[in-house]
Amino acid sequence: MMVVLLVLPLLSALFMLLWPRIAPLLALLTASVCSLVALQLLLLVSQQGSQQVLLAGWPSGLAISLEANSLSSLLILLTALLQLLVGLYAFATHRRDKLGAGFWPLSGMLQLGLTALWLSRDLFNLYVCLELLGIVAVALVSLSGDKAIKPALNYLLLSLFGSLCYLLGVAILYGAYGVLDITVLASQWQADLLSSTALLLMTLGLMLKAALWPLHGWLPAAHAAAPAPVSALLSALVVKGPLFILCLLWLQLAGATQVAAVAPWFAGCGLAALLLGGVSALRTPFAKNMVAYSTVAQLGYAMLALGLLLRFNQPLFAAALWLFVLAHALAKATCFLAVGEITATLGGKRISTLKGASQTMPLAMFAFAVAGGSLIGLPPSGGFLAKWALLQGLWLQGGQLFWLLVIVLATLLSAAYVFRAVVLAFNRADPVAPDFAPRILPQWLALLPALAVWAMALYSEPLLQLLKQEGL
Amino acid sequence: MTDLSPQLLLYIVTAGGLFGIGLYGFIVGPQTLRRILALNIIGAGIFMLMVVLAYRGLADDASLPSTDPVLHALILTGLVVAVSATAFALALLARLNQAKAAQCSQDQLRHKQGPGQ
Amino acid sequence: MSPFWQQYLPLAIILSSLLPGLIIFTLKETQVKLRISLNLFGVGVKLLLVLLMWQAVKAGQQFYFSLPFLPGADLVLQGEALSLLFVVLSSVLWLATTIYAIGYLEQSPLRSRFFGYFSLCVSATVGLALAGNLVTFLLFYELLTLATFPLVVHRGTPESLAAGRRYLAYTLSGGVILMLGVALLHSLVQSPLFTPGGYVAAAISGNEGLLMLAFALMITGLGVKAALLPLHGWLPQAMVAPAPVSALLHAVAVVKAGAFGIIRLVYDVFGVESMQALQLAQPLMLLAAVTILYGSWRALAQQDIKRRLAYSTISQVSYITLGVAMLGPLAAVGGLVHLVHQGVMKITLFFCAGNFAETLGIHKIRELNGAGRRMPVTAMAFTLGALGMIGIPPTAGFISKWYLGLGVAEVGQNWLILVFALSGLLNAAYFLPVVYRMWFLPQTVPWPAEQRLSNRFETHWMLLLPATFTAILLLLMGLFASTELSPLSWAQLIVEREFRHD
Repeated sequence: MMVVLLVLPLLSALFMLLWPRIAPLLALLTASVCSLVALQLLLLVSQQGSQQVLLAGWPSGLAISLEANSLSSLLILLTALLQLLVGLYAFATHRRDKLGAGFWPLSGMLQLGLTALWLSRDLFNLYVCLELLGIVAVALVSLSGDKAIKPALNYLLLSLFGSLCYLLGVAILYGAYGVLDITVLASQWQADLLSSTALLLMTLGLMLKAALWPLHGWLPAAHAAAPAPVSALLSALVVKGPLFILCLLWLQLAGATQVAAVAPWFAGCGLAALLLGGVSALRTPFAKNMVAYSTVAQLGYAMLALGLLLRFNQPLFAAALWLFVLAHALAKATCFLAVGEITATLGGKRISTLKGASQTMPLAMFAFAVAGGSLIGLPPSGGFLAKWALLQGLWLQGGQLFWLLVIVLATLLSAAYVFRAVVLAFNRADPVAPDFAPRILPQWLALLPALAVWAMALYSEPLLQLLKQEGL
Repeated sequence: MTDLSPQLLLYIVTAGGLFGIGLYGFIVGPQTLRRILALNIIGAGIFMLMVVLAYRGLADDASLPSTDPVLHALILTGLVVAVSATAFALALLARLNQAKAAQCSQDQLRHKQGPGQ
Repeated sequence: MSPFWQQYLPLAIILSSLLPGLIIFTLKETQVKLRISLNLFGVGVKLLLVLLMWQAVKAGQQFYFSLPFLPGADLVLQGEALSLLFVVLSSVLWLATTIYAIGYLEQSPLRSRFFGYFSLCVSATVGLALAGNLVTFLLFYELLTLATFPLVVHRGTPESLAAGRRYLAYTLSGGVILMLGVALLHSLVQSPLFTPGGYVAAAISGNEGLLMLAFALMITGLGVKAALLPLHGWLPQAMVAPAPVSALLHAVAVVKAGAFGIIRLVYDVFGVESMQALQLAQPLMLLAAVTILYGSWRALAQQDIKRRLAYSTISQVSYITLGVAMLGPLAAVGGLVHLVHQGVMKITLFFCAGNFAETLGIHKIRELNGAGRRMPVTAMAFTLGALGMIGIPPTAGFISKWYLGLGVAEVGQNWLILVFALSGLLNAAYFLPVVYRMWFLPQTVPWPAEQRLSNRFETHWMLLLPATFTAILLLLMGLFASTELSPLSWAQLIVEREFRHD
């Protein structure tokens, strides 16, 4: 089943190159089949526990091994579904937005890279996935033409640098222990200077690729320059890949002393990301940049949750971490699609373009507001669930008033930037006139993930159970 | 970890040196081409380190028939990735320059036309 | 009635306004008839369902509907006496406000959106009333914020946008603080159903500090909507909204949501005993007393009719809080019944203010000279509302103040009598001049912007009818307070059930 999930996107990407005319059809077909298979995998895993596959019958250690636990199958499902949705959106708008033919095979490769990443438990395979993801992401960004080349190139260079740092760390670890499989490595782990250096190098590279504060500088430019469906994929999924590896490293590999040393730093970076990212989102005059900065800020929650998880080892924080990832992926997909649709229709990049959008494009604006509600953490959304888990963890831990205050501040900041846009949209005085009649289908597609993120609340109990027990 | 012979140590230090040079070039270099090359130097440093690490253990036990094959396989994979990434970066750079040149010629054209009209 | 129906009745009550609201969003501006009939259909169904539930609850039944939500805190809707008090209030006033809004907005743009959010707002209010535990309450509390915001900024003018921003800043901050408090309490005792007598008593020993913190956080969060003293800043500004919205905001939806939350918190979460053990009542009482006086004092200085009414709301809602905080059965009856009475009285006053503004263009108090002769029915309704606010028999306001006074005597906090007396005087001082101007001063200048909205009545019948209806209602509630149908006897029923456990 896992192999199908990997081979299918790869094959379809190849066929798309051969027959570009049926590429959209193939892409949508692949994404829907993959969604079904991923759902089946999730059911299988939740019934029978983790599944492992060794490719091509090689013995363990030599073969490329794939392991699906409930978290990774959930992430695979999310990836496939978002791919399907974004594919539909891209198909609905590709004539108007002049999306290059390259989008389809590249999105297939993106799905391959992500799926492989969620399934790998081997440091070097993870490196290959990372590199694949990075290159495909850059290629996708560069699709929007000349103005995107510069941010794309910058993104590529930093991404390559990040991967090389990670690779150096892998080389050092292999030199020291002679194994790459994370579980085996964890059993032989010694918390000495060498392993600390390697971990630090890898962390640095991953933080750069995941755009975690303070290494987030490339993200707003790159995500804002990309076409709307691409930004949605990048913000929703691609930055989560390196974050996943980071969690693997620190939760499974690192020794107790190393964890204790680094936890406050992670939490601190999360805090800075939340506050500074929020302030930047509030101040930027461009609509897509606002959404991109909001990604920086929201990744701060994940970072904060990781830091607190490492410090207190409280399963609620693990649940909060992954709930943030899931809720943010869905909400951010909606945000980018809705804002992309609005700016394309109303013609403009600035936030002031949204003026009067509640009248001219009520559906897209509604989608943005609903997704924004999840970003803020209003009940009953996925964002609220995550925040609730975080708050519960903090109160149970006791005496964490500082972090509670931070969360309150961050919530208010996110409310401020979301409602900055929403209030503008309610301005009826002089609404921006649409360049052409707004289209209904893309707006509905943008709304779907937002509805999904609010529906998450209804499945919170199984979701929390699943994520808590996994906790990586 | 096995002890390293002085010879291996020398190689490792060289690899580290390459990494350092590349890092310096990447951080300082203002030109994009230079930064791409710097990334390649960093890559060379890391691959050299990996090649050297494949020989660890051989110094004290020369009877072992071969070096660590896994690392070699990894290096090959890494090289492929690095080469393709470099090619992609160069292609992007070329397009950036083309776009710039087009922009420049347009500006010049406008500049020339401007006073004439 | 089959058990199957009983289970879904609370949900159906919410859906009866939510579904028409959602459908209304999709309607075109020109589909006026369909929209109006949908609205009235929703109101009718809701009233019918509420009536069914009322009958059953009176007979001692309880309604319970739950959906899985957070671990340890399902999404629970519960129909019992206290929630029904608020449900009945909001459904009846929704009927009045809907008719009023149809008349008020007859020619204005974007009515589909307005009525859509209007229905959402009522759904959120009713949901809040029916909420069976703190988490559900929090959910509807936030939804209420989101649903009312578009109504506040409905006009889309710079002032209304500024007011909307301010409203959001206050209420969202309040919501976050409430969430913090609810999460803290959840981590201590989970979030079981609201139970008369509270559920924190078991966890008190060893957790005094945290429980007090949770109480303070939640009161702060609720106090924003209930407009307790330092948190009232949004209310006077939110007056820029259209008149039906102000009426709904002040009488039922937002302000009352806060007050209702405080009632729930004091009686059904903490409970009288725990409140006494933790000594939480005294500060709350003090805060409410100060707010009462401050609101009345500020109202005195306002020249704009709606602004004066807004400050009056700040003061009057704190009567409810005060009645609750006294922790005595009689004071509780006073507070609960004031929840209803204040709602009816205040909505009457706002309807009248809207009528004056719409028909004659009057916004300032000094322009009201002689309005009683031009619009006798509206002026009569306003007078009744004002007399009720001051607490003159036989209006409804007298009943609630009487019980509050009895409550003071019962719990022996005699300084509160002084507060009531002073506030009563201030109420008279800011309402009576208005009444005097309407009836006894001659009209000196022409009306600012007169419109003839009807040939037969003084203004459009849809504007006149709701005001008359609520004015008569408040008179009836005062006159027939001792009958079984009155809010007073219902409040006594609630208090009886509330205090019976000890």
